[in-house]
Amino acid sequence: MNIKKLEEVIRLMEKHSLTEISIEEEGVKIHLRKGSLGHIERSVEMMAPHVLAPAGEALSPKKEERNTVEIKAPMVGTFYRSPSPDAKPFADVGSKIAVGDVLCIIEAMKLMNEIKAEVKGKIVDVLVENGDPIEFGQVMFVVEPS
Amino acid sequence: MFSKILIANRGEVAVRVIRACKEMGIRTVAVFSDIDENSLHVKLADEAVCIGKAPASESYLHVPSIISAAEITDVEAVHPGYGFLAEDAHFAEICESCQIKFIGPTPENMRLMGDKMAAKQIARKAGIPIVPGSSNIVNTKEEALKVAKKIKYPVIIKAAHGGGGKGMRVCHNDVRLVSAFFTAQREAEAAFGNPSVYIEKYIENPRHIEFQLLGDAHGHIIHLGERDCTVQRRHQKLIEESPSTVLDNKLRKRMGELAVRCAKSIGYVNAGTIEFLLDKNNNFYFMEMNTRVQVEHPVTEMITGIDIIKEQIRISSGEKLKRKQDSITFKGSSIECRIYAEDPEYDFRPCPGKIVSLNLPGGFGVRVDTHIYAGYEISPYYDSMIAKLITYADTRKTAISIMGRALEEFIIDPIKTTVPFHRKVLANPSFRKGRYSTSFAERMLEKDK
Repeated sequence: MNIKKLEEVIRLMEKHSLTEISIEEEGVKIHLRKGSLGHIERSVEMMAPHVLAPAGEALSPKKEERNTVEIKAPMVGTFYRSPSPDAKPFADVGSKIAVGDVLCIIEAMKLMNEIKAEVKGKIVDVLVENGDPIEFGQVMFVVEPS
Repeated sequence: MFSKILIANRGEVAVRVIRACKEMGIRTVAVFSDIDENSLHVKLADEAVCIGKAPASESYLHVPSIISAAEITDVEAVHPGYGFLAEDAHFAEICESCQIKFIGPTPENMRLMGDKMAAKQIARKAGIPIVPGSSNIVNTKEEALKVAKKIKYPVIIKAAHGGGGKGMRVCHNDVRLVSAFFTAQREAEAAFGNPSVYIEKYIENPRHIEFQLLGDAHGHIIHLGERDCTVQRRHQKLIEESPSTVLDNKLRKRMGELAVRCAKSIGYVNAGTIEFLLDKNNNFYFMEMNTRVQVEHPVTEMITGIDIIKEQIRISSGEKLKRKQDSITFKGSSIECRIYAEDPEYDFRPCPGKIVSLNLPGGFGVRVDTHIYAGYEISPYYDSMIAKLITYADTRKTAISIMGRALEEFIIDPIKTTVPFHRKVLANPSFRKGRYSTSFAERMLEKDK
């Protein structure tokens, strides 16, 4: 185990945000641990508020084999699935969409904003319900691009 | 009283307002840009809404996003903090039209005092001496030269709709005046969208004394004493203190009364500050009025015992100001150091980055208002002020000694901050004697080079 190898290991730790690593090689054992404030970071994390959208954490574990694209809200407002209360939704699970198709409406300050698709494909999931408040960056639809 | 308030700001002031709300049993909504997701104000609020991307124009200054966020969380009021939309009359009007109470002055108050030239005339009518200068916008270089001839050099060119040191140029002669006139106009246009400038006599080495005002919606206005904000660099305040070492009770009473009279003349509501310049003979002149709560409000809170943010909320909810002027007392001395993530060794260039080790100072007489925590990433998108360190004691001498000790304890590794600069100021004999002017900080920095 020489200095170069140690430096490499340290770089590996930084790259993958590891706090601890144990390596055994040719009878030499090393154990590196970051003098981190991990526990302080965690305690600050515990103060997370009730955020409107249970953000990225809840959604990313969806490790689909399929290649999917998330369609996120470009503004803050109220999410509506149809052009009017009695009408059919613009898009549903299974709907095929083209670029420019209206997917939903986000109402902001009494204005109805049509949100248009920027990808061509098929909707595989709808994550927001009609009338829900929605924040910037919140995932609305998951699309399988074609 | 409101049951839910949205704080249209970020950083330490958002934390400050959230704390006041929590103590008053008011639910809070934080708004944040995508890179502020892990910000302390987001963690402390009861609810949080992401309103846009990092650039302020797409988030904290984006009125539709903020109003939308206020609507979907069904808040009754919005506190704008300072900076961003705090003095935006248009934003305040939109809040009103959406039945959301704006916690601050009226849009009319903001418009009147936002026009720096009109504000001077209002002050003059209220009996406050104003700095001699052009009574109107100066449109041509010929006019500029005429004004300068009348009021005599040195003069200062200022942006009619500005502040924060932008669009300001000091001139000592005609040649300089002509070139500065055009650059000041361009700077004003770029910073405030309006190239209008005016010219005033430049008061050399003044002291900057400001008075805190509180007014309710029933016409009752009081002042909470002064703050001395003379320690500045490029027109940005670095250290503030209350009381000022150059005001005696008589002068304080006179300036305070005039400040109240000026605010009354425009029916001012909520918190505001009137700024004066004091020359070396203790002549005072109206400079401008800030129609918002200010960064340095804590030093006033320490010596009066009054929570200014809570008063703002009470006033906006329709409560009458309970206190009368003669019941306002000033006890002790308070100093505030604005800690910036800037390197004093490299011309105060901003130093964003991740805070790895943090030790906040503590002990008797220490208050820290901040949004930083160990592991927090200071972003390059916003103002580089990361903390306010405030000390309070029965005498100025003790407040200074506590501040010196507290600055030593303040560890923010590996970030370069203005803490070393503050330590130098606190140790400086002129500062300790209370004998300094607005050129003090820059001169001290020059000497060190």
